[in-house]
Amino acid sequence: MKTIIYTCPYVPAEWIAAHGLRPSRIIPDAAGATGPLGRSEGVCPFVQGFISEVLTDKKAGGIVVTTVCDQMRRAYDILVRRCDVPLFLMNVPNTWQNVTVQKLYIDELKRLGRFLIGLGGTSPSDDALARIMLDYDTARTSILIVGGYLPARQYAETIAAFGKDGPGEMRNNITLPAQQIEGMPLAILGGPLMRRDFDIFDIVEQAGGHIVLDATETGQRGMCAPFDRLGLRDKPLLELAGAYFCGIQDASRRPNSGLYKWLKCRLTDTAPRGIIFHRYVWCDMWHAELQRLKDWTDLPVLDIDTAGNNQTAKQRTTNRIRAFLETLQ
Amino acid sequence: MSDIPRRITLAQWDLQYEQLQKAGTYQPDYGGPLSRHLNDGDQRLLKLRFDNSAAALRLWNFLLTEEDRLRDARAAGKKLIGTMKDLGTVPVMAYSFDNLVAFYPDGAWWIPCVMELSAGLLSIADSLGIDESFCPVRAMLGAFVTGAHFPLPDRLICSVGATCDDFSAIAQRLEGLGHSIFFWEIPHRRKAEPGEEAVNLPGGFSAPKCQVEFVESELQRIKTALEETAGEKLDEDKLSAGIKKANQVRTYLAELRRLAFAAELCPIPALEMLIAEMLAIHFCSDRQETIEVLKELLEEVKARVKAGIGVLDADAAKIFWINPVADLQVMNLLEDCGGRICGTEYLFTHALDAIPENIPALEALAQMALADPMVGSSTERAQRICADIHRFGAEAVLISRIPGASHCALEGEVISEIVQDNFDIPVLEIEVPPVIDSMRPTVRTRLEALVETIKARRTR
Repeated sequence: MKTIIYTCPYVPAEWIAAHGLRPSRIIPDAAGATGPLGRSEGVCPFVQGFISEVLTDKKAGGIVVTTVCDQMRRAYDILVRRCDVPLFLMNVPNTWQNVTVQKLYIDELKRLGRFLIGLGGTSPSDDALARIMLDYDTARTSILIVGGYLPARQYAETIAAFGKDGPGEMRNNITLPAQQIEGMPLAILGGPLMRRDFDIFDIVEQAGGHIVLDATETGQRGMCAPFDRLGLRDKPLLELAGAYFCGIQDASRRPNSGLYKWLKCRLTDTAPRGIIFHRYVWCDMWHAELQRLKDWTDLPVLDIDTAGNNQTAKQRTTNRIRAFLETLQ
Repeated sequence: MSDIPRRITLAQWDLQYEQLQKAGTYQPDYGGPLSRHLNDGDQRLLKLRFDNSAAALRLWNFLLTEEDRLRDARAAGKKLIGTMKDLGTVPVMAYSFDNLVAFYPDGAWWIPCVMELSAGLLSIADSLGIDESFCPVRAMLGAFVTGAHFPLPDRLICSVGATCDDFSAIAQRLEGLGHSIFFWEIPHRRKAEPGEEAVNLPGGFSAPKCQVEFVESELQRIKTALEETAGEKLDEDKLSAGIKKANQVRTYLAELRRLAFAAELCPIPALEMLIAEMLAIHFCSDRQETIEVLKELLEEVKARVKAGIGVLDADAAKIFWINPVADLQVMNLLEDCGGRICGTEYLFTHALDAIPENIPALEALAQMALADPMVGSSTERAQRICADIHRFGAEAVLISRIPGASHCALEGEVISEIVQDNFDIPVLEIEVPPVIDSMRPTVRTRLEALVETIKARRTR
């Protein structure tokens, strides 16, 4: 079975799986070498990491990139020239308010379907799609339920494993800790984390904190809305599109008021005492939200900017998080 | 035709202005000596060199009095539309109404240059969390806060989707500050796939028909919004007439470009050509006057070409320039180093191509919007650049990086590779901040090296 790799949360794994292919959401380890790029000046470290990861992946049978941000859109131009694996650029609209853009997203899913069929996939029946959606939805719900009981790193890794490998046996593999997690409750908000950035969860824990809300793209915020069972039965593709396109709130949305509505609800539910705002240098979409977030919330906000690949930056991040937690004690 | 063409300083222009007045040369109501704009804080003018023709004087005065025109338009009861990012499409529609005037707040990105950072716009952007890691268009935020550089528009319309992240993020920041923005979606242009009907777009790109239809539906939403603001309906005839007028501008510019880039002796400096091209985007807030300004400039250029005279040496190195510069002085600098512009791609070639007049008007505008070089891939953009390199005979390509701009991080490499795949010519990248003074020696050295390389290759 061919593996289709992607990283954007707006790519529905269920749709790929329903075509008989294996979806795998990849999270780059780190920014990676600049080798594939002539120069890395101005390049978002996550995009750089994604390019490196894709070019070294030997198992991918297809790659899906989206237009959610400009740098990722242009990363496609680089990959097309450097990579032999079939590539698909999926148009994910930034606006969301009217039916025509929602229809555009659905049309893009159909176009993605044709790409997948071209790679050996098969067009799914509604029933087959609904079954797979149900399977994923159940797994997602399980993850969300246990999320509150897991150490933050384990939670992030569980979500990452779900993205990489699908539902599988994961529901049975989640081990809950024997003791309740304690520590100063914090939220983390931002774009996607790279694997090496998962160290932040350890740093927070070692400094006496605990991430109660992972609102990064690779965390809870990047998970689609639960499926409506009736919709799933009657028009599964519509339901799938709605849960992803309307259910995932991101800084790239225009306007992105939905992100703040989503955040308000989650902050109320989880009651953190401060927010770690994680962003990569050269990521304009999230960088521009920093000051707005500070204006919007009464909670203290710690800005962690990183180039995603060096030890000095890690030490700096550690020191900043420790200081932040000390001020919150 | 004016005197022997040459590039002159602001002080020289004041003397030239007196002579023009004595000669009874026509001046429009916004005319006058260029140096009076120093009173508005436009200090960069002191460091620029200008073409010495009356046509160029009119062009500069037209550019530097836009704020007055906007305020006059508001005083006259017209509504102001702030169009953002699409660079050329929505203004064609807006100017088809009797009582709308459209302009680009994006244009504020040149204020830090023209006022040599004295306006403090970048500092205001900093204070709003939009620091120097963003494109200089962040000056726009400061301009909205101070309200000192353009009147606040009655309606803001901004394209997002296949646009740069900087602008999209800054527009969102602006919206978060309480400025209501009508966002519309421009999808990433792609080629038609098997089974899809393809549409050939102005300028040579193509897109599937479904994308044209989608953009047309977005433009229909904009049209409705503009009708609400204007209080009048925009019918097909009016919009078609607006397209014809826009095409008149584009026709003049096409001829100007052909002569400026391909004539044996360069008939008009790069700086004036940059400004002339910019007029196509929103007509500098007066469409009819834009036509008149370009007409006079074209007549001047034609006369110079006919007389076999120009502003630069005959052996000037022919360079194709990609992306607009944040500091206008760099266009002078290129010529000071022995270079000459032979082809440009300032991010808005879609505003220079003729809009189809033989199809429904909104569909024609949708095609134009999709022909934007920045909404497609860097590969397609590079292919168009290659076509123009061939057409104008450029001997090198200069990619001007815009500091912080999301597209500049990765596009340069793709464009460079494709150009070098197609032509055996050098490609150089430089970064141009809003004021290059501290970097001037570095930029100059790089430009000189490029020019020397070009000239050395001629003798191979």
